[in-house]
Amino acid sequence: MKFVLIRIIRSFMILNYSQPLEVTNLTSWLDSALRSSMSEFWVLLIEFVLVGVALLAAYAVIALILIYAERKITAFFQARFGPNRVGKWGLLQSVADMIKILLKEIVKINRSDRFLFFAAPFFMIVASMATFGAIAFGKGLHAIDFNIGVLYVTAVSSLGIIGVLLAGWSSNNKYSMIGAMRSGAQFVSYELSAGFALMTIVVLAGTMQFSEMIDKQQYCWNIFNGHISSIIAFVIYLISGHAETNRGPFDLPEAESELTAGYHTEYSGLQFGFYYLAEYLNMFIIASIATTVFLGGYLPIQVKGWEAFNGIMGYIPSYVWFFGKTAGLIFLSLWVRWSFPRLRIDQLLNLEWKYLLPINLVNIVVMVILVLTGLTLTDLLPGIF
Amino acid sequence: MENIKKLILNTVPAAVIEEKQKLTVTVEWSKLHLLAKTLRDNAELSFDVLVKLIGMDRGEELGVNYLLCASKDLSKEIVLKTGTADRENPLLYSVTDLFETAHYNEREVFALLGIRFINNPDMRKFFLNADWVGYPLRKDYDANPELNPLSLESVDMVDIAPRIMENEKGELVEDTVNIFGDDDYIINIGPQHPSTHGVMHFRTALDGEIVKKIDVHSGYIHRGIEKLSENLTYPQILHFTDRLDYLSANINRHGLCMCVEKAAEIEVPERAQYIRTIMDELNRIDSHLLAWACQTNDLGATTAFIYGMREREIILDIFEKTCGGRLIINQNVVGGVMFDIYNEFQKDVKSFIIYMRDKLKEYDRFFSHNVIALGRMIKIGNLTKEDAISYAVTGPAGRGSGWSCDIRKHIPYALYDKVDFKEIVRTEGDSYARYLNRLDEIEESLHIIEQLIDNVPEGDICAKVKPIIRLPEGEYYSRVEACRGEFGVFIESRGDKFPYRLKFRSPSMALVSVMPLICQNEKVSDFIGIGGSMDYVIPDIDR
Amino acid sequence: MRSVAKYFSGLFTGIKSLLFGMSVTWKELWTKKVTQQYPENRDTLVISDRFRCELVMPHDENNEHACTACGICQMNCPNGTIVVTSQMIETEDGKKKKILDTHQWDLGMCTFCNLCVITCPSDAIKFDNTFENAVFTRSKLVHKLNHEGSKLREKKKEPLAPKGE
Repeated sequence: MKFVLIRIIRSFMILNYSQPLEVTNLTSWLDSALRSSMSEFWVLLIEFVLVGVALLAAYAVIALILIYAERKITAFFQARFGPNRVGKWGLLQSVADMIKILLKEIVKINRSDRFLFFAAPFFMIVASMATFGAIAFGKGLHAIDFNIGVLYVTAVSSLGIIGVLLAGWSSNNKYSMIGAMRSGAQFVSYELSAGFALMTIVVLAGTMQFSEMIDKQQYCWNIFNGHISSIIAFVIYLISGHAETNRGPFDLPEAESELTAGYHTEYSGLQFGFYYLAEYLNMFIIASIATTVFLGGYLPIQVKGWEAFNGIMGYIPSYVWFFGKTAGLIFLSLWVRWSFPRLRIDQLLNLEWKYLLPINLVNIVVMVILVLTGLTLTDLLPGIF
Repeated sequence: MENIKKLILNTVPAAVIEEKQKLTVTVEWSKLHLLAKTLRDNAELSFDVLVKLIGMDRGEELGVNYLLCASKDLSKEIVLKTGTADRENPLLYSVTDLFETAHYNEREVFALLGIRFINNPDMRKFFLNADWVGYPLRKDYDANPELNPLSLESVDMVDIAPRIMENEKGELVEDTVNIFGDDDYIINIGPQHPSTHGVMHFRTALDGEIVKKIDVHSGYIHRGIEKLSENLTYPQILHFTDRLDYLSANINRHGLCMCVEKAAEIEVPERAQYIRTIMDELNRIDSHLLAWACQTNDLGATTAFIYGMREREIILDIFEKTCGGRLIINQNVVGGVMFDIYNEFQKDVKSFIIYMRDKLKEYDRFFSHNVIALGRMIKIGNLTKEDAISYAVTGPAGRGSGWSCDIRKHIPYALYDKVDFKEIVRTEGDSYARYLNRLDEIEESLHIIEQLIDNVPEGDICAKVKPIIRLPEGEYYSRVEACRGEFGVFIESRGDKFPYRLKFRSPSMALVSVMPLICQNEKVSDFIGIGGSMDYVIPDIDR
Repeated sequence: MRSVAKYFSGLFTGIKSLLFGMSVTWKELWTKKVTQQYPENRDTLVISDRFRCELVMPHDENNEHACTACGICQMNCPNGTIVVTSQMIETEDGKKKKILDTHQWDLGMCTFCNLCVITCPSDAIKFDNTFENAVFTRSKLVHKLNHEGSKLREKKKEPLAPKGE
């Protein structure tokens, strides 16, 4: 026992002194400890289970934190306090809500399609969790690193719409069906724009793999690298992302003042909890993919040549950088949601097909020209970037 | 008006003309339609607004009073009276082909008095169930609850309307008509719905997202105020007006007090007039703030709702400190006001004026030019001026269509002829015009209050009134500009301390009656937005 | 060409209006909130004097009130919220006098119209501003306004100020 303890302490002492707070050492130590005592099969099995559990836990915990943050920030925009009774500053409000949702009765609907009604929330949750796995949270915290990362993320997140359409159809409720139809049309249209915006950056970075894309942004984030074209792609990606996840001024399918709750009116208890969670997590996923692709993922701000500055920036761990950037984008998302009224369905589709898509196509061409003629910032100023 | 009298006698020689509080013309029931049509089509002064349609039980006959006025000059009024002695099956001719606003009013008269109108295309009862026993406003109504028990079973909606029409030969044919087609996709918007501003039931036939036809079912909050008032003395009736259109409670009560004061010839002291006018304008600001907040909430900007409510709190605090109530204001009584202004009233109101002007600029920046909001409001819900006059849509909604109908300018009461303010009229007739009208009217109200607040004279706040008020025999009308339109009071007194018949003219009934017209071929989301721009309050309709 | 110019100018005015709207909410984020934290602020809460919450009959330190059981408040109440019961007693001089037995007021039915207060000839009842009147059973909403063992205050020589209506 004393031997193992000394080995633990010694392995911790093999710290990277410039970046002591990273978890890469922890994970590699765990890996080597397991490998030295068991066969390959068991090591992989245990690691998969651990990673899966960690992802699911992270999923739930991030959702709870996001719900609390949204309620508080929304309230501050609206000249009121948010929840502040349950725990100091209302910190335990999300936990109380979670317990309440778990305890609610699941109301069985008369004459609805039982199997589809039951299965619909699962599509939404599975799609959102599958995308969650591909995000790079920090150095060494990247669960799946496909070489077609961007394509994988776009493809898997499209599965969520099946959940919405099934929910609207199987609820046997005219209002739900109207909501689901609207949502289906909206989702399919905005998928296009989101995909094209990401393609613009793939052209710039030259690769679809997330880890390589992040490594290339060490001294210059992609949004600055492609200047005009990247910024337009960033704005378009954020708008399409919000429209895809029914957030912000595009929340017509769940417009409370018109259709009570749209496609998830008839759900209660944990099934409603799934939709609720999936909505918040989708917003988080959009923000995190935008961070990874445009804002440099988990890399800190580094300037070529200022070693001391780089050292200080590097001391702050990578996951803090990642969550900080994502939190900034989520704040932007909340800000936009509470400042504007809702767009009507035809205006929404109008925006996509007449404004975003043409601008997107022109933007890709501009980016190709920038890359081929060497006008990106890394090409123009290699000394600094 | 002499020409009008000649015209009436030319058309119907048997008409009886009296010069009471208003020029009153009594005709036989078969000649009424002809007379109304002549007055409406008169080129020189066309009486094309039906302000009040009052059904009454006069004892020996059941009849209707019509108060008509001219859309170009609201102070030119005329009252037409008619009746029928047949109490078993009373029939009168309908004026729905002349004035569209008569549709719901005649249905209400049928429900409450039993008079059926020939040629009205839809003769269902308006507030009561179709199987209600008895006619409440008749003097011989049996109010036994056994006759009309509360039903605990759910009944399917029946969309069939009975009607009586007169064919070319002059015979009366009773038939029924279906409201909706056989394969219409019908949904019920309301009565419980976050956006109908009260309990209003719209049965809507949809075609995908487009609204094809709307049928209005009302009466979910009908409390029978007019019948209750027939057994209460005049001071006891006053508290009902706070519960009609509760957002313009003060102005409604002002209208009722004015009616009684004019009839009993009580003069209101100057200080009370100042206080009444200032409180009326504060009430108008608070109602328009709520209308703005609810309209933006219906369009999706929840933040604006809370901003509007926050401003409203300051006015409600002023009301609370003056008269003890925030929504049920209870300030006006017959002869003056009940509570005097408190010491810091002027200071509070002046600081509110500065604060509100700042906030109006903020609302302008925040919402009025927002591209999404403009897309939801411009060219949506178009109401032409002719339709506004025919449906008697007054208030900011009517003025948004180009009809100048502000009672404060045309028939000034209280101190409105002594202050300087503009009447806000826009001609586009869409939701955006109505929205901007309300914000501009808040500015005008602030301007009126500014002119009055420093000059409140000393004196009594209430004239000396006998404890039991008996109005002399006769019919009395009053009209005031409430926040949603023209609010009117009609009292017929037979010398008692109770009114013989009391009627409130509801501005929101006209606003709801025009919804089926302007929402046709708009999308469901726009239907909600148009409802927000019209800003009706349901207890006002149902009374 | 004009439609292209209109397309872009429409796009830019739209974006500008959206950014103005966002600036308003940003400013609001940092302003102090006006919400009051009830019930923690009960000590500093200011309810205006005239706020009509509960009808009370003020009793002075000798447990005397001013109600003569005339019943005018009961007659003026529009919906029968007040019920005044009186009893006849014999005074020392042998005269029969009507005094108040119970003055009952139903908080659940009252419309707070203030008619009882302004028509009372002896200023016996008034509205107080205590607003925490919620109870768990409906029968507790019926209040008896005169306290136990209280009696009518004897009239002084100068008459009470007449009520203006």
